[in-house]
Amino acid sequence: MWLVFRKEIKELLRDRKTLFFMIALPLLLFPLIFGGVAYFSGKAIEKAQTKTLNYAIIGAENAPILSAKIAEVDDLSQVNTDLQSGNETGIKALITSETVDFVLVIPATFSDDILSVGQNTLTLYLNDAGLNMVQRRLNKIIDNIAESNRDQAFITLGISEEIQKGLLEPILVDKVSTADKRENIGEKIGGLIPYIIFILCLQGAMLPATDIGAGEKERGTLETLLISPIPRNQLVMGKFFTIAFAGVTSAMVTVGSLFVWGVVLSQGMAIELITEFMGAISAVDFLLMFAMLVPIVAIFAAVLLSMSIYAKSFKEAQGYMTPLVFIVIIPIILAMLPGIKLEGIYAWVPLMNVALAIKELIKGTMDYMALIPIFLSTTAIAGLLIAFCIYWFNREKVLFR
Amino acid sequence: MIEIKQLAKRFTVENPKKLSEQEKKDPRLKGRFFHSVQNVNFSCNTGQVLGLLGPNGAGKTTTLRMLSSALKPDSGQILIDGEDVVQNPILARQKIGFLSGSTGLYGRLSGRENIEYFGKLHGMNAQSINDKIEELAQLLDLSTFLDRRSENYSTGMKQKVSIARAVVHSPKVVVLDEPTTGLDIMATQTVIDFIQTLKVQQTPVIFSTHHLDEVKELCDTVTVIDEGTTKFNGDLDSFSALADGSLHQSFLTTIGKV
Repeated sequence: MWLVFRKEIKELLRDRKTLFFMIALPLLLFPLIFGGVAYFSGKAIEKAQTKTLNYAIIGAENAPILSAKIAEVDDLSQVNTDLQSGNETGIKALITSETVDFVLVIPATFSDDILSVGQNTLTLYLNDAGLNMVQRRLNKIIDNIAESNRDQAFITLGISEEIQKGLLEPILVDKVSTADKRENIGEKIGGLIPYIIFILCLQGAMLPATDIGAGEKERGTLETLLISPIPRNQLVMGKFFTIAFAGVTSAMVTVGSLFVWGVVLSQGMAIELITEFMGAISAVDFLLMFAMLVPIVAIFAAVLLSMSIYAKSFKEAQGYMTPLVFIVIIPIILAMLPGIKLEGIYAWVPLMNVALAIKELIKGTMDYMALIPIFLSTTAIAGLLIAFCIYWFNREKVLFR
Repeated sequence: MIEIKQLAKRFTVENPKKLSEQEKKDPRLKGRFFHSVQNVNFSCNTGQVLGLLGPNGAGKTTTLRMLSSALKPDSGQILIDGEDVVQNPILARQKIGFLSGSTGLYGRLSGRENIEYFGKLHGMNAQSINDKIEELAQLLDLSTFLDRRSENYSTGMKQKVSIARAVVHSPKVVVLDEPTTGLDIMATQTVIDFIQTLKVQQTPVIFSTHHLDEVKELCDTVTVIDEGTTKFNGDLDSFSALADGSLHQSFLTTIGKV
């Protein structure tokens, strides 16, 4: 068995294409994707925040203080217009033609004295479809004026500071979370980790699986291998371990790269948070997570090997394997949804229960006794699938299609 | 000495619509089953070379695959030195060296590693594998390319290494399925020379072919299979005596096409 394993691994290591997809790609691609997304979105936000905006005010004379404050801001540049507040078509045309980025309409009834007019309504016209910071930039100015107007009104009415607070927010709810930091972060990212690891394992196992099943058929080496005096089950197990090993290695390399690059890209800012979070998860929990992954990888490897040996060619094998990714994704995505817990029916859905258990382990809220049936049922499924794989390898119909 | 008695093998037809026109007309198609091999008999003694002839689809490859234990016969016996290997496929695998026409090598391993792998699968130790590779490298002239990756080999090089791999465990019987199909003249000659070496070493060789000149050059006995049944069994002289002068005519006579 180990003879077959060693030979398959040797062949795998000499296959540049597979190695590239298994190791080089996750090492380089992930930082590129994440770094790229972070860089470009950061650029876009920065641009939206600092870009000089052109604007027009209709009815500026109604609110001289506000108009003056807006005019003071460096990166807002006023465009004069003689449009009237009722002329909505004209205002829209002004924005569509990109003459201005926004138009602020101040009604004639505007007053800084709240006690005489009540609430003031300003109308802001803008194209809100794209990324823009117009409202946020404008609010900075308007809020200041609104607050000082409000304070003025309170003073006029002679309301004490305590009552002011009560008027502004009659009931305040003070939230005290009993969840510690670990549970909090765990709930947010705990579902993501099994998702990433499962998919990576599956993806990493896929290329070698096509190669050592369908690939042997296509190259004509399978028949010779079948008539060598090694028991069929040892042959299957040798190939099975190769696929499982490749899956785990590929997943670990990718997770490692993700972690290292994450730290590098965030330039150590988040490192304290990460170390604190990782430190909170005990070694036992890490071991348990890894132990839960073993039967999962075995399931993947057995299914992939069965598919691969059934296929007549590389192409056919890949055709069978692609839908498998979708089948695997569904229970894991369900496990990521907030509110789905490891209880009731979910504890018996294969893959989903393991994903949920890993999430619980990360959160530190795992009921360890519940791990036993999950582990046993998953192991039983893996065992059945391996047995099926061996049976499958003994079928002439499968081998000589 | 190897004897094959009343060998039969049928395959289930999964989808009758997918059969070719020729297969649909074949009398071996009975209901849901295609009786590929129905009654094949022949024997090959020590030091003899047996040529297995027959039209395409006659059941030659199925017969040889049963011999190699890749397929399990439905009925019949395969006796090697009197032992029935149908019941004990592992024994068959140890005693038979098999080379199929469509065989390949592991491209990312060198020729030597390919041969070593199968030597190890046959339970040989490193020393005896090395000795055997040295011997075969001399015989088949492998030494110039043995340590290069086999994906870059020419067809002839591949065939030479495949032969070496098939006989690394010093088998009692060598079975070759169309070993010269698709080879150029030099590579074909290598295969023919190798069969002659085996003959000198008293190892029985069974090979299927479509080239009657190879039969004339190498074979002691000839077996003709058509529609899964042995149509002729005998020595080369009686085969050529079936028609005047030409082996082609003899062949057509045996399958009733004259």
